[in-house]
Amino acid sequence: MLNSYWLDANMSTDDVWKKICLAFPILADNECSRECPEDNVLEEIKELKLNKCIEDIVICRIEQIMRQKITPDFWSRFSERKTEIGGFERFKDAVDFLYNSFSNFLPMLENLEKFRTISRINRVIYGEETLLGTFKVIVTSTLLSQLPLTHQIITEDFYKVSFKVFCNADKSDVDQDESSEDVVQCGGCSHEIEQCHCQAILLVFHETNRKLIELDLLERLAGEVITTLIHIRIENHVQESCKGSFDTSYISSLESWLSTVVMGWLTHIYNVNAVSTQSSIKKFHQKISHFLYETYTRTRIEQLFNIIIEYPDSQPAVEDLRICLQKTDLRLYLTQKLQRALETRLLHPGVNTPDVLTAYVAAIRALRQLDPTGVLLETVTLPVRHYLRWRDDTVRCVVSSLTEEGPSELADELVRGEALQLDEGAPSDEDMTNWEGWNPDPVDADPSKTSKSRRTSDIISMLVNVYGSKELFVNEYRTLLADRLLSQFTYNTEKEIRYLELLKLRFGESQLHYCEVMLKDVYDSKRINAHLHSDPNFKLDRQQFPSTAMILSAQFWPPFKEETLELPDFVKEHLQIYTKAFETLKGNRTLSWKPHLGSVNIDIELKDRKFNLTVSPIHATIIWHFQTKNQWTVEELSQLMHVPATVLRRKIAFWQSQGMLREISTDSFLLVEESSTRSKCPVPPDMVCEDEETESAMASAHDQREEELQVFWSYIVGMLTNLDLMPLERIHQMLKMFASQGPTAVECSLRELRNFLDRKVREHRLLFSGGFYRLPKS
Amino acid sequence: MKVTIRSWTGVATWRWVANDDNCGICRMAFDGCCPDCKLPGDDCPLVWGQCSHCFHIHCIMKWLNSQQVQHLCPMCRQEWKFKE
Ligand SMILES: [Zn+2]
Ligand SMILES: [Zn+2]
Ligand SMILES: [Zn+2]
Repeated sequence: MLNSYWLDANMSTDDVWKKICLAFPILADNECSRECPEDNVLEEIKELKLNKCIEDIVICRIEQIMRQKITPDFWSRFSERKTEIGGFERFKDAVDFLYNSFSNFLPMLENLEKFRTISRINRVIYGEETLLGTFKVIVTSTLLSQLPLTHQIITEDFYKVSFKVFCNADKSDVDQDESSEDVVQCGGCSHEIEQCHCQAILLVFHETNRKLIELDLLERLAGEVITTLIHIRIENHVQESCKGSFDTSYISSLESWLSTVVMGWLTHIYNVNAVSTQSSIKKFHQKISHFLYETYTRTRIEQLFNIIIEYPDSQPAVEDLRICLQKTDLRLYLTQKLQRALETRLLHPGVNTPDVLTAYVAAIRALRQLDPTGVLLETVTLPVRHYLRWRDDTVRCVVSSLTEEGPSELADELVRGEALQLDEGAPSDEDMTNWEGWNPDPVDADPSKTSKSRRTSDIISMLVNVYGSKELFVNEYRTLLADRLLSQFTYNTEKEIRYLELLKLRFGESQLHYCEVMLKDVYDSKRINAHLHSDPNFKLDRQQFPSTAMILSAQFWPPFKEETLELPDFVKEHLQIYTKAFETLKGNRTLSWKPHLGSVNIDIELKDRKFNLTVSPIHATIIWHFQTKNQWTVEELSQLMHVPATVLRRKIAFWQSQGMLREISTDSFLLVEESSTRSKCPVPPDMVCEDEETESAMASAHDQREEELQVFWSYIVGMLTNLDLMPLERIHQMLKMFASQGPTAVECSLRELRNFLDRKVREHRLLFSGGFYRLPKS
Repeated sequence: MKVTIRSWTGVATWRWVANDDNCGICRMAFDGCCPDCKLPGDDCPLVWGQCSHCFHIHCIMKWLNSQQVQHLCPMCRQEWKFKE
């Protein structure tokens, strides 16, 4: 190659080569000689007119040395180590070696640069204009091209050890009193305190980083490791700080931790010449600050179910999360996580309905603080609402906790009062006066709902909306009220009247009219009883026991379960006298007794015992019959009392538990006239029969509704027989026209109808395809 | 054994002793009340005519007031006279 540039015929090839080697000893030598050639040597070579070519040869040689000697040597120091400190030493050693080798090249590079100047070479090699720049590229690329698989272990060791020392130094500033006499080991370097190496480690750390920065290698070699270390450290710190405690806000303490401890360490790494690294430190701060928020947000989201359960004690945690959600992009993550948590922890049969409701109420409150627009609440709790709708006793639980004695969130909420807002209502006008304060709904909002309905609907409304129908809710309240009135048999209705007034404020006068009549019935009964008993003309005073009655207006009470009971003649006579008295008082009106309902106070006298008990009519009747005959079979009693054997057996169990009856053979019971010593159970006098069943006398709302819907079924079958195919909306319209007239009008929402029809489809009594319902071909 | 009943509180529903369930005028149950009333029984009583038909008192009064010429029972078209 040299031949083509050959100009001076007097010089042999060897001579030329020697001359070049004299200027750049590196070409001949394996070592970088530090000697600088004389200026005239460079001038002489310049005359050879081989300028670029020579530069190429030298650079090529540098690359060769880097590739074959320095880089393998450098990486060989990253081999296995026993301890972290060992790794730390190796890393330092390697960097020192590299730095020294690098420095050795510098005089030669200077020389080459000089040569460049005198021979007026202007060129860019590897994107760098200066030879030093080019050289750094060569160093970096050669190093990276031979990167061993395990290099990170040593790098990690180096930064881990120093970070530990650094954190320890910071910590001992904070809680000095804690690091008292029993600490023998230094928390930073793990040496005994007396021989603490921390100071030395920090010095080495500082020096090594300075060298890496000078070599432009810090980012390339350690950037990833540093970031990972910081992330791990942040994760651990967040976990430690806020595990299990929701009653404190952590944002500011986390932030200050980040800017003192973590940023302090980073500054320590970079702060070699502050000006040039300031911007990269700032960038780093932003990045890890974002990471901190994300980590904290994720942690809180993981805990969100528990946070909700502990609400309002967990208010600070919710507030933190609210702020964090604005700074991160984790809304969707929150929705998914919380929904899953709700599903696994709440929505399964093992959790009873009141607990689901309590959690739901807490969720409403917490999520409303988290997102005042209500969108989050709406989306996240959708499965809860679906689930509650499916549970049989939901309405009953809501109603009973609404009107329950003692502290109950819902009862408080009811007292707070406010007209009920149901979603069905027409979209209300947005408030125009405060238009400047308007904010758009979040992107995940359901566009079919007005933002106002989301923002303002209160907890009770949300619960009622679970069912979407006030009627069903009010019906269930009516059943509950009926049960309460008929189980207590006190004529004291003051409290119920107060609740009714509160409910009227919410549900409206007309919805609760029936309940008003029921309460009036109880009040009137009290007056009628008093009246009948005070006037001797009614002959009630001559009775052997006082009979009183709860007189109900049947049209206004929920339907009763159909049950029969044949009372003892003795009792029937008494009730007939009462009926006569009522007829006399009211004229043209009479009574129909519900013999199985009521409350009876009886004295029982046995050979060795005496009780006074308050029991139900059926219990009283059973024991009454044992006066005439001390042994009965269930079958005999069933015929006499007109009560099914299964029911009887359950009721007899009560008397067995009292030690009064004994089963001598299957379904045959004997009166225990004298209690043997072993079964001498002391029954407290004046006890009230706490029946095994506090079961409802009313048909459940669910049963009632089913029955009502059955009315529709015959209409629907009729329509489909005539019209063959019908879509849901059409069926609904037709039903509205035909089925909901007359005194027993039944309302049925579109949704309810769909559910009903879908159930019929499941039962194979209807077919559904392409949006149309039809009857199966019979 | 001796069982002594000290007191008996029963449950009963009241009803009008009438030969029909619903009022022939408003079609509502006699044991309920007429469309203008809220409370049944004493507040919305029944009356009987000499023809033996009976109605909510408020219903028959409204009916009679709307009749210009003659007061007839809306069921049997006989002259309406209150039963003594
Ligand atoms: Zn009427
Ligand atoms: Zn009336
Ligand atoms: Zn008549």
